[in-house]
Amino acid sequence: MDRNQISKWFKNPGKMAHKYSFHAVYFCTGCGIIEIPPSITTRWDAERFGIIPVATPRHANLFLITGYVSTKTLKAIIRTYEQMPEPKYTVAFGSCPINGGMYYDSYNTIKQLDKYIPIDGYIAGCMPRPEAVFIGVTHLWKLIDMDKADGYKRYREDYALYRANQEQLFGELDWPPLFKNEKN
Amino acid sequence: MDIIALFISPLLAIITGMFFLGISRKITARIHWRYGPPLIQPFIDVIRFFSQMSISHGRFFDFGIILSLTGSFVLVLFLPIGELCPLTSGGLIAFIYLMLLGPFGIALSGGAAANPNSSIGVSRKLLLALAYEVPLLLVLLAVMTHYGTISFVDIVKIQASSGWAMSSWALILPGIAYFLILPAILGVRPFEIVMAPQEISSGPIAEFGGKHLAFYTLQHAMHMFVGLALFVDIFLGGGTLFGLLNPIAGTVWAVIAGVIIFLCKMLVVLIIGLFINAVYPRFRIEQAIQYLWKWPTLIAFVGLVIVAIIN
Repeated sequence: MDRNQISKWFKNPGKMAHKYSFHAVYFCTGCGIIEIPPSITTRWDAERFGIIPVATPRHANLFLITGYVSTKTLKAIIRTYEQMPEPKYTVAFGSCPINGGMYYDSYNTIKQLDKYIPIDGYIAGCMPRPEAVFIGVTHLWKLIDMDKADGYKRYREDYALYRANQEQLFGELDWPPLFKNEKN
Repeated sequence: MDIIALFISPLLAIITGMFFLGISRKITARIHWRYGPPLIQPFIDVIRFFSQMSISHGRFFDFGIILSLTGSFVLVLFLPIGELCPLTSGGLIAFIYLMLLGPFGIALSGGAAANPNSSIGVSRKLLLALAYEVPLLLVLLAVMTHYGTISFVDIVKIQASSGWAMSSWALILPGIAYFLILPAILGVRPFEIVMAPQEISSGPIAEFGGKHLAFYTLQHAMHMFVGLALFVDIFLGGGTLFGLLNPIAGTVWAVIAGVIIFLCKMLVVLIIGLFINAVYPRFRIEQAIQYLWKWPTLIAFVGLVIVAIIN
């Protein structure tokens, strides 16, 4: 931790604590999960930045979607995302959640994940190396500093839109809406 | 003085317990050849938990975790930390009763969450408490019989004049038995069955988020402090060190030095426990009960018989 950040700590302890204590919940969809064990264990050691994996979405504030998202797993991703307490940050991992990647013409792969849940940042690559994960995390720190990592706020404001997109894909959803805002 | 101690000792317990959590993460990381998080990482985590929204699952969910934290608070007041001891009455008997309040509160809270993982965790937590209470009772019974008192303060005082209980040959077997069940009391690795993130996704605290998790972390830190402090108090002579403090006895400096010595002893016990934690895998629940009811209970019982024959 930098000494010149102490004034920031006094100004907004909650925000700074969010930066330096990412409890991550991983969604092991595709090949991206292969890169996670080296980055959290001995070789790259993510714990020195305060990043540890947790087992339940209730403890987490960082959601890593590692790899392609099929239509079936999207349901589980949405439910996991909705169970995380706010503030929460989502990082999509690899090319597949951005534009489908190598599954660009697959019939059951989600091409653009941002339509269904808000994403705060993407780490491009097929696959990104653990170094890229760390660079992604430092970018996320900058975004949090500038209050631009506001995916959870967008989800709250535009929930009707996201819900409509989800329902367009799945038909009837078997869980009630998370927010009851009467906008739109 | 007593009123000041009433505030100081829980505060000391929370801060020390949080630092112990940080130290345990750092040392485990170094054993794994990692760099590890900063020592104040648990404080950062707790600040974050408090700034996060939390989801409640009803009144018992909120009440249970508060009950558990309160139980640990009261427990600390009974512990002599060096010469700092706010509540001298009650002694070990009250301590044994209050020690169940922590697991009980968590169980109440986890049960109200209606998560299957929570329910499994709760049942494991109560089974584990049942398993380590038997040898713990035998150990405490041996100590109380040997010193002829139930008072914590008196036990520490007798040790200050006649040497640590661990070094007297009558109480070495109960001491070893307590050390064997210490990982179960602290809930660390060979007995990490209650949390078991890989099996039952953190067990009783699976549904805790935000402020509930912050309170749980504080409770966990205090419970760790209590488990270690009990061992230091009844077997390693509390805040005394070979009559080192005799020249300045009765002054404020003696109290402060006693607290520092006490914390150093706790740190040593914690680090030895961490070495076990870092290299051992996890027991299954029936293996844990089998182990706890066999070796520590046997050793503690033999110790109790020896103490009974001597007195």
